Amino acid sequence: MSRKSFPYKPSGGDLRDLEQPGYYAGYSTLAQKKHWEAATRELVTHRVDKTPSTIRFFSQEEADVLTAIIDRLMPQDDRASMRTISVLPVIDERLFTNSLNGFRYEDMPSDREAYRLGINAINEMALSRFDQSFIGLPVHRQELILKSLHDGKPDPEHPTWQRMPVHRFWALLMEDCVTAYYSHPWAWDEIGFGGPAYPRGYMRLEHGLPEPWEKDEQRYEWNAPADSLSELDEEGAPPEHSSLHGHGGTH
Amino acid sequence: MSFILTTALERSANRSLPEPLSGAVTTALEHLRKGCFQRSLCLVVSATSVASGLEVGYEHYKGSYSNPVMYTPVALSAALAGAGLLGFFSGVAARTLLRWISVITLADGIIGFFFHIRGVARKPGGWKLPVTNIVMGPPIFAPLLFGTSAYLGLMASYLRREEDLHSVAGRVHNAISEFAPGKADWRTNLRYGRFQKHLSSVTVLWAFFSGFEALYSHYKANFRYKAQWSPVLLTPLVMAAGIGAVKSRRIANTALPAASALALADGAIGFYYHVRGITRRPGGVKKPLYNTLYGPPVFAPLLFAACGFLGLMASLLRREKK
Amino acid sequence: MPHRLGPMQTLPSPMQRFADSDPVDYCIVGAGSAGGVLAQRLARAGFRVVALEAGPFWDTEKDWVSDEKGSHELYWNDLRITGGTHPLALGSNNSGKGVGGGSVHWAAFTPRLHPSDFRVYTQDGVGADWPISYWDLKPYYELLERELPVAGPAWFPWGDPHGHPYGPHPLGGVGDVLVRGCTKLGLRSVAGGPVGILSASHGDRPHCIYRGFCLQGCKVGAKASTLITHVPDAIRHGAEIRAHAMVARINLRNDGRVDGVVYIDREGKEHFQRARAVIVSAYSIETPRLLLNSACTGHRHGLANSSGTVGKYLMAQAGNVVAGRFDQLIRLYKAPPAHALTEEFYETDKSRDFARGFAVQTVGPLPVAFAKQMVAAMGAWGWGLRRVMMDYNHWAAFGVLGEILPWQDNCVELAEEKDQYGLQVAKVTFNLHDNDKKLIEFAKNKVMEIMSAAGAKHVVQEARFAHLVGAARMGNDPSTSVVDKFGRTHDIPNLFVCDGSILPTQGSANPGLTIQALAARTADYLIKQGENIFFSNRRDLSEPGIRYDLSPPYTHFRGNPRIA
Repeated sequence: MSRKSFPYKPSGGDLRDLEQPGYYAGYSTLAQKKHWEAATRELVTHRVDKTPSTIRFFSQEEADVLTAIIDRLMPQDDRASMRTISVLPVIDERLFTNSLNGFRYEDMPSDREAYRLGINAINEMALSRFDQSFIGLPVHRQELILKSLHDGKPDPEHPTWQRMPVHRFWALLMEDCVTAYYSHPWAWDEIGFGGPAYPRGYMRLEHGLPEPWEKDEQRYEWNAPADSLSELDEEGAPPEHSSLHGHGGTH
Repeated sequence: MSFILTTALERSANRSLPEPLSGAVTTALEHLRKGCFQRSLCLVVSATSVASGLEVGYEHYKGSYSNPVMYTPVALSAALAGAGLLGFFSGVAARTLLRWISVITLADGIIGFFFHIRGVARKPGGWKLPVTNIVMGPPIFAPLLFGTSAYLGLMASYLRREEDLHSVAGRVHNAISEFAPGKADWRTNLRYGRFQKHLSSVTVLWAFFSGFEALYSHYKANFRYKAQWSPVLLTPLVMAAGIGAVKSRRIANTALPAASALALADGAIGFYYHVRGITRRPGGVKKPLYNTLYGPPVFAPLLFAACGFLGLMASLLRREKK
Repeated sequence: MPHRLGPMQTLPSPMQRFADSDPVDYCIVGAGSAGGVLAQRLARAGFRVVALEAGPFWDTEKDWVSDEKGSHELYWNDLRITGGTHPLALGSNNSGKGVGGGSVHWAAFTPRLHPSDFRVYTQDGVGADWPISYWDLKPYYELLERELPVAGPAWFPWGDPHGHPYGPHPLGGVGDVLVRGCTKLGLRSVAGGPVGILSASHGDRPHCIYRGFCLQGCKVGAKASTLITHVPDAIRHGAEIRAHAMVARINLRNDGRVDGVVYIDREGKEHFQRARAVIVSAYSIETPRLLLNSACTGHRHGLANSSGTVGKYLMAQAGNVVAGRFDQLIRLYKAPPAHALTEEFYETDKSRDFARGFAVQTVGPLPVAFAKQMVAAMGAWGWGLRRVMMDYNHWAAFGVLGEILPWQDNCVELAEEKDQYGLQVAKVTFNLHDNDKKLIEFAKNKVMEIMSAAGAKHVVQEARFAHLVGAARMGNDPSTSVVDKFGRTHDIPNLFVCDGSILPTQGSANPGLTIQALAARTADYLIKQGENIFFSNRRDLSEPGIRYDLSPPYTHFRGNPRIA
């Protein structure tokens, strides 16, 4: 069972067991699926209904550690258990089928190996720093270790990070996590994205106006869990890696 | 004796306006009532077809003239504007050239209507997505609205000229028509300014078309401003007054001019807002062409005002002779 | 169900089938931006043409989805190794795999190069000159702008000012931000194009529906890709497009001429397609890789590589993404990502400390791409990432498009590793040089300034690169270039290269339109030369003259009258 820590509203009250986090209460992209064409409808409903349940690439131990890591990288403690978005099975599926992203950095091992090395290193870092496996650590300590990777200064040092640059591993991991999470219709509902749009496109292009089936934003204040290290640091600059850059195709 | 708008207007003009002006108003109203306003209507036709030519010109520019048939309304607007001008100078031109160009333009509007329906059908999802595709497809009623000036041109071609009112021949004709027994055909009715019911029903139709355009384009903009509801709400009012005017002379002289005046005013205000909307777009007046293309359509409120104009005109005419 | 190419168009059937042993006139390697245009032109001129495509023949209704993750297969996902001081991200950012190639997932920005781009060395003392001038290419730009067709402003004020055949598109939220920011700073901008996306229906292709999924393959058929613009016409005129045919090497005869290519079909079986001439149009990575993999006796270091420049002078444009958060809603996922730009900083400015310049364009990342940007630009993770993503609809994003100069050490080589076909994979090395770094620094700050001027409360940026070109450059001197000004290799008279890899410099314009214009020009040359290509080693470098009668249907008598 993974550990939890909950975000909360400043006015009081944990944000937990939410059907739908975010500022678009009552908005559902899936409710629009009758307006999507067959190929997309099939793909997206399959993504929601048929999450692969068996882990085929990772060993059970690796899967457990990676689950705990993902719970901190892509925390979903606010989501109701029936509404959490599967991340690990998607990564496992990709690695099992060896579906590549088209390239590998010359200073990196293959994606499969990178994951194995990285998971192992993180677990060993936990053991050497806190004398406990990563899974057993309290949330805050898990975040301490991950934050050190995020900052590019692994604490404690581990030989794996001599073999593969820590910022590249971090980018690999984060990108796989966000790909799994933000390709899910429940995440689209959370952020107010319109979802698939064919054959029906958009009518209201400017001023952020909602389509008739979209919802207007209803903002509220919320805070990350009190001891969380992953809140954005508005003042601080992002980690500087001369060669870290985006992998998305935008133009 | 029921309330007659023109009589009331004449009276109040006589009472409150100084001489040359009150005389002019009386004459103008008489010209209208007697159907002797060919020259002025020709000028109106000329002006409106310049406006609608500009509008269809830039709307079809947006549509990239991807079908050569899209040039026809632009060319016809120019032709109609020219014919209107000629009609102002020559009665023969008004009765021949203007009439035929108006008929062709009206036919073009109807053909365009079918092309626009087809355009909506050919959008992804076609008529299965009526709302999206009507909003985003070619404006379906625009080709019919484009026919407004052609319709006026056709009317003008049957009218008598201003000078006919007091000419000898004109008076004789007048007398004959006033006292001739039997059913008058529509041409005679037109010639003598007896087409109030006809024009009222046309007003109803036009109000529906332009009101519908206002409805979906303001819906597209999510009714961001309260004022965007005004043409949508006024439309049924004008339509009801127009239908009433067909049935009752009283309504034609009271409710119709009132509702039409409101529509006219609303169109004028809308025109101001649309122009302001264009200047407020990103780039504002520094991008005049683009912002006219994709800002609020400048001429659309004027089209709505045009239906108010038609209604007002209807209320000043005489009713058809039975 | 017929094979669909957009909602109204179907694949012409039956398609010509050539036997492997049946020597075709032209074998084109890669049915992408250039390959599609070449096949169409050559087939119309009556040549027997086969285009071999490594990927599938897309059925847009069945194979494509309106979904980011589900569109993974549009990209070239096979292994490539990337390195250097600033390694390029490949994959989704690059060539496509499948008929239509990269034009299937391009954003379809179609600016022309400027006249100055063809004379970079003469004017600025850096990079290289082209063997042709802008004016040689201009009629092809105009023709291709009609064939795609390109929607854009009536007046495009930069470079050689010109208009566009189709009217501009409406602006989306991001375009509004770009125009507002530029206006505030007194910079000119253009709205609604130039893009190869339909702003009106065109034959059997409908008008854009502004759904924002351009990069995922346009199911609407509004965005131009050779899959729907040129390939159907090629097939109708007797060309064969052979999908799932990965070319392994080009075969050289003893007399120094090529006679066909070896390719591997989807079952892994090897075939030899005989051809009287071969045109390689396989992208700036696969083209040099194929030439290098085809090394043989007499061509130890790769085919057509006597100059040693095959794979060298690879270029990518600086593509930094600048994102700005606004208090009001933007909803950047609506409208095509590509719809407004400024080229105010395109040309060399003596007051700056670097040569050449950059363009600023709208981009419209969908949630996954945007999340990745936030990971890179803000270092977002955990709760911070969840929070910033909840504000997705408040962000707008611009892309820098900066000219990086051609350097010899930026290159494609062969790595030791092999792919699923047993072929050595490409290793791409990319380093930034002093001029490039200064340009990127300036461009990034300028774009952030525009974003702030538009009213953004928080502006961040991530470094990235886009648009690989070069690596088999054209030139007049056989000792410093791979091909001549018509794409014919200096070394082998019946081997041609025609794609982005022949560009000597890249300007700050998206290369798609230029690649297609060059392909149409090469096609005209080949048609003019006729049988000479197949039987003679003589190199006739006279200009062919443009052919207006070889365009696909709906090219002429459509579109707005142009004022320039």
